Amino acid sequence: PALPEGWSAEKDYKVLSALSSATQRNVEPVGPHFLAHARRKRHNRTFSEDDRI
Amino acid sequence: MSDETGAAGQAGERFAIGISFGNSSSSIAFTGPEGKAEVIANEEGDRQIPSILSYVESEEFHGTQAKAQLVRNSKNTVGFFRDYLGKDFKSIDPTPSHQSAHPQQVDSTVAFSINDTESETPSTVTVCEITTRHLRRLEKSASDFLGKKVNAAVITVPTNFSDAQREALIAAAKNADIEVLQLIHEPVAALLAYDARPDAVIEDKLVVVADFGGIRSDVAVVASRGGMYTVLATVHDYELGGANLDQVVIDHFAKEFIKKHKVDPRGDARGLAKLKLECEATRKALSIGTNATLSIESLVSGIDYGSTINRTRYELLSGKIFAQFTGLIESAVKKAELDVLDIDEVILAGGTSHTPKLARLLESIFPEKTKILAPSTSPSAINPSELSARGAAYQASLIQEFETEDIEQSIHPVVTATPHLSKTIGVQLVSADESTIFRPLVNAETALPARRVAQYAVPKAGGDVLVRISEGEREIKSIAEVAIKGVKAGGKVEVTININSDLGVQITAREVGEKGGVRLAVESPSA
Repeated sequence: PALPEGWSAEKDYKVLSALSSATQRNVEPVGPHFLAHARRKRHNRTFSEDDRI
Repeated sequence: MSDETGAAGQAGERFAIGISFGNSSSSIAFTGPEGKAEVIANEEGDRQIPSILSYVESEEFHGTQAKAQLVRNSKNTVGFFRDYLGKDFKSIDPTPSHQSAHPQQVDSTVAFSINDTESETPSTVTVCEITTRHLRRLEKSASDFLGKKVNAAVITVPTNFSDAQREALIAAAKNADIEVLQLIHEPVAALLAYDARPDAVIEDKLVVVADFGGIRSDVAVVASRGGMYTVLATVHDYELGGANLDQVVIDHFAKEFIKKHKVDPRGDARGLAKLKLECEATRKALSIGTNATLSIESLVSGIDYGSTINRTRYELLSGKIFAQFTGLIESAVKKAELDVLDIDEVILAGGTSHTPKLARLLESIFPEKTKILAPSTSPSAINPSELSARGAAYQASLIQEFETEDIEQSIHPVVTATPHLSKTIGVQLVSADESTIFRPLVNAETALPARRVAQYAVPKAGGDVLVRISEGEREIKSIAEVAIKGVKAGGKVEVTININSDLGVQITAREVGEKGGVRLAVESPSA
């Protein structure tokens, strides 16, 4: 991954577009990873907040 | 959950097991102190306990003993009742019960008329009560084995079990003094059984779970992303199962018998029941050995019958049925709008999955890289009959410490309904000659929010590097470009991506070992 000639941007990054829309699905409520997800969601925590606890 | 203490209103200690409750057979499993799930054998030594109850002079028989009663005492023997639970009489298919007690309509529910007491007149027992009695026997076997009273369980159900069926099952369990901590889906339990193994590596993969049972078959396509599971598609066949294969063996031997003795053993109810029982055993033996024998005393008109069948002959006769099984899997993959090439793993679950030919046929349908997890194709495969019970036992061990309210809140739709990425997000490595490689970082169908970190090697010379974050697989749309300048020779670039549930993205790109790096945020599309 080499930087092409003449590529420049403010603070060295460019945002080109947003993500495509998401699909709404149901996660299966099983397993340790889901329980961690549920814990974050119920307490409105982010990943890094959850890591600290 | 762990931080909310205060065990108010907790009635004693909970001791939970996993139960897989099937139409044909049920299993019980528990998780030991080392975190390994094990299936418990009942007092007869069976790990797959037939879901059958039988009554002889007010004595209750259960499991294999009850199954034997199908020959002499079919009217007072109840089997194949799981799918009747919580259903309207008109909506059930009573075909599997032809050779045992017939389901009848009582009020809005299904019931059986059986002689289960000393009195001469038969009593009417609802399917809910039958289930309670069945669960009570399972609980007793588990309690006896573990030496501790089991009072809670995680029970597996098919993915298309209706709310009424779930409620009926919970009510039936409650009558058996079992607190249902959670009902989990059979295919997900099977997946969990594999992922719960200590040596398992959690990775993103698309898995097909094929559950081939006795009288029905269910296939689910599941996306496993960071240890979380999302069911993408399911198909069900209520007329396909091990019973169809038994029928092939029955017909084969019946024809042989007719040739010799000019009587059709299938014409006699008791003869047919005997044939059924023995042919099932013969078919199971063919999954292990290449030859199997059949011998029945006094099949019809007092004639003893003995014969053998080899596996090749059996596989030849069952070709059509095998094609139905594999066709069901293919239709599930198609329903998920995927191709067999997209599938990373096929998990074969259910008793019929022991059949070696089925796994071999799947090997020819799926590409080489797809793992077919069945005893005959993978040495690390878990016994297909035990998968859902083990998964349930593992889940039970995870949640048995929780408060009931916590469990309810965690499995509430508010929590489970989650946006999923519709397209794969990856990092494009732009090389000097402008040819690019797309490396997936966050796969499509990942539940949000999600976080991933990956490292990428840069050209040997080092220097300035462009990291392009994009989405899509066949058509690629660029999301953002980041320049990392002055990377050391042989260095690596680490990209961390954090996607919120509103599709906002935070990206950090930095050289491994360096501080800082470039941080940026992509706004959510709606903002």
